[in-house]
Amino acid sequence: MTRDDWYRHDRLPHIYCSGCGNGSIINCVLEAVSDIGWNIDETVFISGIGCSSRAPGYIQTDSLHTTHGRAIAFATGVKLANPDLHIVIFTGDGDLGAIGGNHFIHACRRNIDLTVICINNYIYGMTGGQGSPLTPYGKKSTTTPYGACEMPFDLCNLAVAAGANYVSRWTSYHVTELTKAVTAGLLTEGFSFIEVISQCPTSYGRRNSLREVSDQILYLKNNAVLHQRWKRMQEKGEDLSSDQFVVGEFIRQSRPSMGVSR
Amino acid sequence: MMKLFIDETRCKGCNICTMVCPYSIFTPGDTPNRRGIYVPVLDRPERCTNCRLTYLYGRQLCGVCSMICPDQAISWIADEPYSARCVVIEY
Amino acid sequence: MSRTEFFQGNIACAEGALAAGCRFFGGYPITPSTEVAEHLALKLPKVKGGCFIQMEDEIAGIAAVIGASWTGVRAMTATSGPGFSLMMENIGYAIMTETPCVIVNIQRGGPSTGQPTMAAQGDMMQCRFGSHGDSSIIALCPASVQECFELTVKAFNLADQFRTPVFLMADEAIGHMRERISIPDSVPYTGRKPAEKDTLPFKPDEDLIPGFAPFGSGHHVPVTGLTHDWRGYPATTNPDLHAELVSRLYHKIEDKRNGIADYEIENREASVVFICYGAPARTVAQVLHDQKHDGKDDLGCLRLRIVWPFPEALLEQFPHASVFIVPELNLGMISREIQRHTAVPVRSVSKIGGELHTPRELLQVAEEYR
Repeated sequence: MTRDDWYRHDRLPHIYCSGCGNGSIINCVLEAVSDIGWNIDETVFISGIGCSSRAPGYIQTDSLHTTHGRAIAFATGVKLANPDLHIVIFTGDGDLGAIGGNHFIHACRRNIDLTVICINNYIYGMTGGQGSPLTPYGKKSTTTPYGACEMPFDLCNLAVAAGANYVSRWTSYHVTELTKAVTAGLLTEGFSFIEVISQCPTSYGRRNSLREVSDQILYLKNNAVLHQRWKRMQEKGEDLSSDQFVVGEFIRQSRPSMGVSR
Repeated sequence: MMKLFIDETRCKGCNICTMVCPYSIFTPGDTPNRRGIYVPVLDRPERCTNCRLTYLYGRQLCGVCSMICPDQAISWIADEPYSARCVVIEY
Repeated sequence: MSRTEFFQGNIACAEGALAAGCRFFGGYPITPSTEVAEHLALKLPKVKGGCFIQMEDEIAGIAAVIGASWTGVRAMTATSGPGFSLMMENIGYAIMTETPCVIVNIQRGGPSTGQPTMAAQGDMMQCRFGSHGDSSIIALCPASVQECFELTVKAFNLADQFRTPVFLMADEAIGHMRERISIPDSVPYTGRKPAEKDTLPFKPDEDLIPGFAPFGSGHHVPVTGLTHDWRGYPATTNPDLHAELVSRLYHKIEDKRNGIADYEIENREASVVFICYGAPARTVAQVLHDQKHDGKDDLGCLRLRIVWPFPEALLEQFPHASVFIVPELNLGMISREIQRHTAVPVRSVSKIGGELHTPRELLQVAEEYR
């Protein structure tokens, strides 16, 4: 099976705006899933609420489009009741970082065998661009019209601290690296977390001087700092600029996990 | 041989493909289609690595345009093999 | 053969779940329902395919239960008032996605934290109307430890049959009361109607209920809480489709309310009739017993084991009734529902604070109408 066979073609084109990164990320995830060769009947995509969470509706498998923030909790039930199912969760920065934060850290702690793809577009896209817990400091959204005055979460560090087995961050521009990271996450036993920074030209870009899709793509390309380089920077005592973010693999370990099919 | 193909019913004209192709095969379109979308135009698509070498290597090569296309609009379709010895005589 | 035990209501409920084939429990500790979770934590891991998990909160508890139910297993959670309030959104999700599951609510005094260790029936309206939007559910009310067992079994059967969340609305008095209970070797079983191959996953049959296609069975069901068509695809802006879907979810249960009804009637010829459910039914039984002993037989009783959907046809079983007396451990929730359906005067005897009605209190009210 190829990536194309995993799509529900009768549902395409999807509802995402022109230039939205979600479609690219679904491509990468389905590429990884079909590369591994999982059985389409035994794979379940689960999501919460938001732009990112509409993704499972375009995939030709069993899928669960749940309530806001609760995707991981639903997935825990599915996985424990039937460990033979492969489960991938699509979620967003608001869905996972705000309303679903508690479920997220507890799933990391339990190290349950799930793979979470968090599409981080810095805002709540579906409701029109409100600030999220991942809106960078000083950036504008409809609920932070004077610039966000709160510090954002670093979900990757949070996942590492809470005990996830695999954590990495990429962007919707780095499709090849992202596909590799998703593959690694899917194959890792235990909780895998992949944060994908994505462009939202409609709600985020146009309020933050990144009006064109190309502006946001270049922003992602130019501000991504590879994990290894960041370590060297730390050794030299250098710091990231406010726009820069770290990409790469944060951790890969084998803490005892639950819900693994034996 | 393979041929690059943009599905106009899916393309939303975001032009991300024009930024990623190493050969710059995709160029922004200048005329809107029936749905009012400026679908990118292919500039000498026979240069595409995947089109030329898929069968030789037996697997997909490059493929970044298809992978990054958020609207699942870019794909390859089978094409007549390119014949090196074919000479076109122009009168 | 059956075995006899001396159990409290919560343990009986857990045993009922095991007997019914429940294989998944997801929940969060809350007084006075914890014994249900504790007993299942002990027993479920020893059952083949059994899984117990203590989630991070009640929201996650019900979410895990719904997720587990979609793999085809019978799943339940147990909670009390505050947890029940937290679960409301996901209960609505279970209604919309037609997910069978059982939610045990050992009711305690509310609102808010209220009286964790005292009995109440204050969630009777919340279980029916707590989640937003039009819907219908099934709620059972046990009045003894034996019924905690039997009605839990029945709750699973109804959940599977109607593809809906089913509530076991016990109260702290029943949950923590110890009684003799007889546990049968086998219990009635009505499973889920399986989805036939190549049918649309949300296309209802004539009984308004679609067949169930569990995850992993190759049906590729897209489950969503959005308004969806028969394929399960979101169709949120189609007024007709929404009306059809929500009406069906309502009517699949409400149309069969008189068939679902589970009740006990005593003395159809009575002029003064008690209508009761849950713990107050025990006081009513005492009053009727005492009065019969004294040679007076003008008192009657309708005891509801299933309160929602409300079986209003039963009210016509008492042709000579001059009053319906409704003792409840709330400020008259079900008495108002009874009022909606009858011309007979309804007298609510509310008692809140955590103690049950005494037989004397109820008799005093009955005397007024003699």
